[in-house]
Amino acid sequence: MFSMLKKIIKYRSQTLKYPKEPLDTTFVWGRPEISSSACTLCRKCIEGCPTQAITVNAQNEAGINLDECIFCYTCAEICPAAAITVSKHFELAAVDRSDLRHTALSVEDEALRIIAKKIDEKAKKRLGRSLQIREVDAGSCNGCDYEINGLNNPFNDLERFGIHFVASPRHADMLLVTGPVTRNMETALLRTYEAAPDPKLVVAVGACACSGGIFKDGYACKGGVDQTLPVDAYIPGCPPRPQAILYGILKALERT
Amino acid sequence: MRTLIDNLRQVFPEQFNNYSIHNVNELHVGVDSLYLPDFSLHLHRELEGTLVSLFANDERPLNGNFALYYVWAIRKRGLFVILNLKLEADNPAFPSLTRQIHAAHLYEREIKDLFGLIPLGHPDPRGLIFHGNWPKGLYPLRKYFTPKNKPGSLSATDDFQTIAGEGVYEIPVGPVHAGIIEPGHFRFSVAGEPIINLEARLYYVHKGLEKQAEGMSIDHCLYLAERISGDESFANSLAYCQAVEKIAGILLPPRAAYARIIFAELERLNSHLGDLAGICIDVAYGFAAFQFRMLRGWCFLLTEELCHSRFLRNINKPGGIRRDCLTGKEKRLPEALEKIRKELTDTVGIIKTNTLFIDRVESTGVLTHAAAKDMNVVGPPGRAAGVDFDLRKNFPYSNYDTLSFDVPRHNNGDVNCRMNVKIEECFASIEIIRQAAEMLPAGEISVPLPETIKPYTAALGYCESPRGENLHWVMTGEDNTVYRYKIRTPSFCNWPALALATSGNIVPDFPLINKSFNLSYAGNDL
Repeated sequence: MFSMLKKIIKYRSQTLKYPKEPLDTTFVWGRPEISSSACTLCRKCIEGCPTQAITVNAQNEAGINLDECIFCYTCAEICPAAAITVSKHFELAAVDRSDLRHTALSVEDEALRIIAKKIDEKAKKRLGRSLQIREVDAGSCNGCDYEINGLNNPFNDLERFGIHFVASPRHADMLLVTGPVTRNMETALLRTYEAAPDPKLVVAVGACACSGGIFKDGYACKGGVDQTLPVDAYIPGCPPRPQAILYGILKALERT
Repeated sequence: MRTLIDNLRQVFPEQFNNYSIHNVNELHVGVDSLYLPDFSLHLHRELEGTLVSLFANDERPLNGNFALYYVWAIRKRGLFVILNLKLEADNPAFPSLTRQIHAAHLYEREIKDLFGLIPLGHPDPRGLIFHGNWPKGLYPLRKYFTPKNKPGSLSATDDFQTIAGEGVYEIPVGPVHAGIIEPGHFRFSVAGEPIINLEARLYYVHKGLEKQAEGMSIDHCLYLAERISGDESFANSLAYCQAVEKIAGILLPPRAAYARIIFAELERLNSHLGDLAGICIDVAYGFAAFQFRMLRGWCFLLTEELCHSRFLRNINKPGGIRRDCLTGKEKRLPEALEKIRKELTDTVGIIKTNTLFIDRVESTGVLTHAAAKDMNVVGPPGRAAGVDFDLRKNFPYSNYDTLSFDVPRHNNGDVNCRMNVKIEECFASIEIIRQAAEMLPAGEISVPLPETIKPYTAALGYCESPRGENLHWVMTGEDNTVYRYKIRTPSFCNWPALALATSGNIVPDFPLINKSFNLSYAGNDL
């Protein structure tokens, strides 16, 4: 008992001040960025990218579609002109998927997307004070799930925002979905969504949930949550760090 | 190797004539389906072999046949024997070994679902992977099937085992669970309090990863390997890289070999600390859980500081490591580890003197030694049940044979033993990293792969991941691509053991037992 008390006194609070104060990003690697002035359009990065996330737009500028990027930084490594750099930006979540993209989705993909219906402001405000989250893994590699788990650790302590993870979708206001939606999980995901009471939000966590990521061509993957459910916010990353997920949750609530 | 070949020649004078040695420790033997059971039983019973992997390959474009590979490990001698069975394309059936060798059970069902090859005499005819929602007669791992083909879903079947009897009832759980974990369905048959039978239906996160790898370039397939199972990113990329390096005939520079040891052990430490936190939270021991979570947080900070990735991604590549992450960290690394070691010692001291806690974990979820051996249970759950085996010792890779470390072993097979194995492995990992960091030589961190890698060549890559023996088999195709990538993670071997360890326990102890195994769903389902 005494040794326990000693530890509790020694480590009183481990909680980071994020988002009130910025995170120490000394060692953080965030979004890769292409400098259009240095880029020679040699297309080496386009060939080297394992998820075909790098595209060239109508203005002949290369850019990265962050919803598909798996943050392997191969592009930065192989660029002969050193035009691709690794930035420290990790707060990448967006409410609209097109904000994450350099080039628009093809018409075919667009047709499959279920566009989120806008929840009225009042409902969002009501959810904003206290939020109950149900996490659903729809085929992730478990990296994103470990990072979501990390929100509950002493460093991030999600409960300080009045946000809790709940055991049942019937208690949930938000579904936090990871993974590219596998065929075996599709029904379970739909039923979980139906079981959650309205109004509800859906947040896609990680490259797989945003676009299918590296698994988009798998025979048993649907390729992104927005082909099955309306999505209110997208959090890119592979996996996104806990603070990036926190930022995305707050973004979905318009509390950032 | 010599004695093994002599032994096989003596026992099977007529059938053992088609063999070759590959990659130093792999003996490939071509067998006929008629003699397969005899060969297998001889390896199993007389030579103390363990069936560690069994997979099929559609080699019809190459030689007109399907091929089956039975990978046996003779662990005491550090050798693999790979039996290669050719099946004619128009009669794709093979004798099932499951009735004699239990470890073959799931492999044979998997082959049936993915390749449409029939294991004759298999005791369980049910499908494994698709839950009945996949069109009949379509086999995704046959070569004619393209990965972009996404057939529509049929309605899933509900073919669980039923346990009948007075007062027996069923508790279905999942696939979406109460905690933040991966999906899987558990069906408990219970009478009163104790569980009579647990059936786990997995493959909810089956993505078709092995098919996706086919035709991918060897460089790109690495990223897929890193994403097999998030918390084993490094171990999986390590096994993949090793296989490719063997095919290309590359000798790893010493600096890269020691760096890989450091990262592999960091991953083990990180993973075990998470498991210990999970065990504590599942018995509502909040204080200890938060201590372990804090330690794990420190571990994450250290990995991020070293390589800018919390999950040790983007470090490995075939031929070495991508960046020299360890220069300038010579002082920081041992300091950070010493801080973790000290706090871990204190915390372990506190939990082990808490009788209420020990009372919950002791004699809970017992896995017997016989079951562990029969099912080929690997890693900490195996070592907690007296299976004295670790790839780092028995099949040393990287430069593990130059380090001195102990592999913990316990004999009772309960949650307590599994927890103790993990605690002791944490300390061992810290010690290994200390030694490897001291021995870390200066020099190159990678050697380039040759321009063209020999097509249709195969090799086994293996490593001891935090969960145990991790075995990847890679066969190259034309133009530096992958022809077939068979991934067998430790979770695949250990899932059936979880069901065995659960029976006789009460339902509220299941989360605790589950956590003490901490198996990966993604690594099993692929």
